[in-house]
Amino acid sequence: MKISVEWLKAIGGKGLSIPTTELVERIGSQLGAVEGTVHLGAKYKNILIAKVIECTQHPNADRLSICKIDDGRRAKNVARDDSGYVQVVCGAPNVEQNLMVAWLPPGTTVPVTYNTTDPLVIEARNIRGQKSSGMLASPKELAIGDGHEGLLVIDKSSKPGDSFAELYNLNDQIIDIENKMFTHRPDCFGMLGVAREVTGIQNLPYTSPDWYLNPNTKLNPVGDYLPLNVKNEIPELVPRFMAIVLRDVSVGPSPVWLQSYLSRVGVRPISNIVDVTNYMMLLSGQPLHAYDYDKIKAQDKGADSATIVVRRPKPEEKIVLLGGKEISLDGPEIVIATSTTAIGLGGVMGGLNTEVDDQTKNIILECATFDMYTIRRTSMLHGLFTDAVTRFTKGQSPRQNKTIIIKSANMILELAGKSASYASDLIDTKDFEDTTICVSVAVDFINSRLGLKLDAVLMQKVLQNVEFRVEVVNNNLNVWPPFWRTDINISEDIVEEIGRLYGYDHLPLQLPKRSLKPVAKDALLDLKSQLRSVLSGAGANELLTYSFVHGKLFERVNQDSEKALQLNNALSPDLQYYRLSLTPSLLEKVYPNLRSNYVRNDDNEFVLYEINKTHNTVDRDKQKLPKEWESLALVFAADAKTANRKYLGAAYYAAKKYLSYILIEDQLPLSIVPLSEVAKTDLEINTWTWQLVMPFDPDRSAVVIDELGKIRGVVGEYASSVKQQLKLPAFCSGFELDITVLQNRDRVNKYIAIPRFPKVEQDVTLRVPSSLKYSDLFEFMWDSLNSDKPKDTFCTLGPIDIFQKDKDPDHKQVSLRLWISAFDRTLTADIVNDLLDKASEKAKKKFGAERI
Amino acid sequence: MDYQHPKIREVAALLSAEERLARDGKAIVRAPELAALFAEISSLPADQRASFGKELNSLRLQLEKLAAARQSTGKGMTDIDVTAPFDQNTQEDKRPALLSSAVGSKHPLMIELEIVLDIFQRMGFKTVESRQLDDDYHMFSSLNFPEGHPARDDYDTFTTTDGLIAPAHTSTMQNRVLNKFKTNLETDEPIAVVIPGRVFRNEDLDARHEHTFYQLEGVYVDREIHAGNLIATLKTFLQEYYQKELEVKTQPFYFPFTEPSFEFALSCPFCDKKGCNVCGYSGWIELLGCGMIHPNVLSEAGIDPNKFTGFAWGGGIDRLVMMKYDIEDIRHFESGKLEFLRQFR
Repeated sequence: MKISVEWLKAIGGKGLSIPTTELVERIGSQLGAVEGTVHLGAKYKNILIAKVIECTQHPNADRLSICKIDDGRRAKNVARDDSGYVQVVCGAPNVEQNLMVAWLPPGTTVPVTYNTTDPLVIEARNIRGQKSSGMLASPKELAIGDGHEGLLVIDKSSKPGDSFAELYNLNDQIIDIENKMFTHRPDCFGMLGVAREVTGIQNLPYTSPDWYLNPNTKLNPVGDYLPLNVKNEIPELVPRFMAIVLRDVSVGPSPVWLQSYLSRVGVRPISNIVDVTNYMMLLSGQPLHAYDYDKIKAQDKGADSATIVVRRPKPEEKIVLLGGKEISLDGPEIVIATSTTAIGLGGVMGGLNTEVDDQTKNIILECATFDMYTIRRTSMLHGLFTDAVTRFTKGQSPRQNKTIIIKSANMILELAGKSASYASDLIDTKDFEDTTICVSVAVDFINSRLGLKLDAVLMQKVLQNVEFRVEVVNNNLNVWPPFWRTDINISEDIVEEIGRLYGYDHLPLQLPKRSLKPVAKDALLDLKSQLRSVLSGAGANELLTYSFVHGKLFERVNQDSEKALQLNNALSPDLQYYRLSLTPSLLEKVYPNLRSNYVRNDDNEFVLYEINKTHNTVDRDKQKLPKEWESLALVFAADAKTANRKYLGAAYYAAKKYLSYILIEDQLPLSIVPLSEVAKTDLEINTWTWQLVMPFDPDRSAVVIDELGKIRGVVGEYASSVKQQLKLPAFCSGFELDITVLQNRDRVNKYIAIPRFPKVEQDVTLRVPSSLKYSDLFEFMWDSLNSDKPKDTFCTLGPIDIFQKDKDPDHKQVSLRLWISAFDRTLTADIVNDLLDKASEKAKKKFGAERI
Repeated sequence: MDYQHPKIREVAALLSAEERLARDGKAIVRAPELAALFAEISSLPADQRASFGKELNSLRLQLEKLAAARQSTGKGMTDIDVTAPFDQNTQEDKRPALLSSAVGSKHPLMIELEIVLDIFQRMGFKTVESRQLDDDYHMFSSLNFPEGHPARDDYDTFTTTDGLIAPAHTSTMQNRVLNKFKTNLETDEPIAVVIPGRVFRNEDLDARHEHTFYQLEGVYVDREIHAGNLIATLKTFLQEYYQKELEVKTQPFYFPFTEPSFEFALSCPFCDKKGCNVCGYSGWIELLGCGMIHPNVLSEAGIDPNKFTGFAWGGGIDRLVMMKYDIEDIRHFESGKLEFLRQFR
């Protein structure tokens, strides 16, 4: 939202003569963030008003004239003739003797190129053999309008040598205030609203112009009426629709002052009629539209009057908008139409068929209020973001319309020819509460929310400064907001108003009082933090990847995209689905990292992990929303060179190593079961589990099962198709876990008193069938050792080796090491031998294990 | 098969070894050692190329056959005993171990989040993590954004085909948090909660814009809480975070769920207002949005706004981290590049 400081001054804004930096700071702290400031005057510095004294044909060019101009001898260092005039060669067709023009003396930058990457500086030079000092400028060159056909003609009383900038009040500062601040402030989308606020925040009283507060409703139609029927079929969406007919206008460019007001805040001047509607919109925030009366009438063949119907679209209705874009009207639109034809998209843009053009004689001026929600939906649907949309979607007050349409009509009559006049009464269809609400709020209420101790009179003054009516009754304020404020409805609105106008920098900085009660930690976040420390301490690298993935990634890892939540409005196909598990996202990062050869030492290997949430379309939580699975995924990858040098055996055990590590060397009550042994029905028990295991090779993976028999994770190598698709190295494995299974992880750690007597250590090797699972044997041995061990002893059992002879693939040899100690004595080797004998004997009966 | 070229002989032995075939399966033909030999052909003397290439092709064929044979006998990628701690027939020094802690790293966003949460915890705030998928009610309606309200346009949200929303702010948790902890108020305890989480905006990626980023929301409700408490709380946090005295200022702003609403700025902690690259030579850093919780938001959660008032704020974590380390491109965060990740311990 660009505002012009000079414009604010012109409409009664006060306190605006302070330095701009100070003003910007005040606006920033009490109105809204300032995005930037432009000193407009710098663009027009040096430009002078000049009078064309003499204008002759250039001897060597048909289209050029040689002009002698009078600048009151103001410009320095410029060649002058004996009379003190300056010679300028000019190509404009409208240049003629006695014309008052804007002259750029040599050394001046053409305003339209000012502050661009390619500024054009005018110098004195020869043009086809004739000396030319500086340039006479067109509206376009002056960055005032689009006109480039001829010179800008000075239309205000002035004398040669006057400053162009001063004449048109262009020594101005343009301040750009962030729009977002004004989302609830329709009035601040107009200069009037901003002038009022800028005055109010400096604790000065603002008074709106008289025409605004007390519109003169006495119109003087001349001659016959031009009949206009207005029918509003949807007062619930268009609470007010006002119109007036003006006759015999002559359409042409508007005066330079008006054009310059529009252009300085970024609106392109078009014609006097359109410029007035834009000027009034910029002034008040209320958009207006002008139609060609005769074109409207002509739409309904044979009609002897013009008709405007405000309605919803008809089936298959279309309209061509200003600018030529055709749209279909079959949604939320508000249509402005004649009896037969759509002529405007209400509140958004007018139709091409009734556009005001050079030939227009009679016009209908519309000033209406449209439902902000409907305007927003229409705008979004058709991608139309006009100045009118910006304003209507803030909820303009319908109570402002009358004063705006009258002022606009009067301005048009002033600017559009002497014969222009009213040709109808003021037409007003309305359906809204035209009353001022009263918000009653206690002084204490306001003070308690601001932490201040302001008195009622000060509060009253602050509000009155911005034209609220305020009555103080027994330490209570009765507040009547002015008619343009649609945002004041509840006590908190008054708190905000007073706090802001008084200045938030006065707020007392006090911390809230708190009790000494300790704050509980969030268990899950605490766990995540622990896992990060544990894994990073174990050489793993935490990464974060997008929650959204490509549909093709599901295919590559055998997951089912049907189970994934899909975005309506993804930025690209790469980000179209919520991921079903974290593993695929991690796998995508393996190849780029291996290839990047970032790991410069000999070991091109790494461990990546991510802790994040995953979702699917089936699993729901208590709130009936998709369940947020709390997941930890890890992948271990080594390139072939590294793996061959460092490791023997399956990559599976690399992931297993990390898994065991976070399970505190398997002390958590979880078991590892081969994926190939899990019944399909158990995998399909929920969508999460089913999709979780899909990327893994069933013969070289396992699931993690909790005490209740529920699958809580998977560990293993990836299916060969997955490895191929994602270019994974041969030595690659990983796991993914529902981390809620790890809660209470820190409570597992138990302390065992350190025995004073030496430990006895002994190994046992058992030959067992190859098919016997290591864990079955180990747990069996562990249980029997514990049941048979002597009193007051404790033991530890660990794996040493697993060996299979080439010649005997049906068996394997498992070596375990037992450490045993007693708390009160030194154990003898006999006791240990006995113990191992017993356990081995049992294992023989159970598994046919043979002690070697 | 005997190979003439010693290099080919060497690789043949390596790749046809049982362990290697068991691990690589059919992928053995894409082994990098083999690829390296193929790459060498062009650099050989012209008279050797043909015989070298020929042998190499037959090695590839042989490996393919070996792998296929393993698979047809059911060996393929052999089954392994997943319950074992390590593979059979492996010496201790050839078993995979944990990598050196020297190469480990935590994600910088998570490191910073933990630092921030720790401060708020010490200040008496409980933590509740935000959701990554939510409904319209929590994202908008419960926060005083009526259906179709233009204020919703400021949040370029991703929506799912089943009508859910990828939250664009951690405020999506406000209603839940107020509801969950409102019993505190009956026992004269405040509601004091911070809400970290990953949020999403439908925004094109560039060095300064991510569609996925992290935010921290704060909510505080009690009797007689005023706007001065809000400013003081944020200032206290920031001074602890930056370990120095700071100036703060507010600019009026608009959020439907707070009134009044502010944009909150602090004096640049990197240059102490002298002007630097981080603050764009303005001396100030706009850091977060905040305000007094709108009475409609309190009422919606069943808290009487006449008895209780509160404040809320929300700010980005990514920005804090980028400023702290002078990170030039926000896209590094989700890039998964080790070169980036390993710089943060």
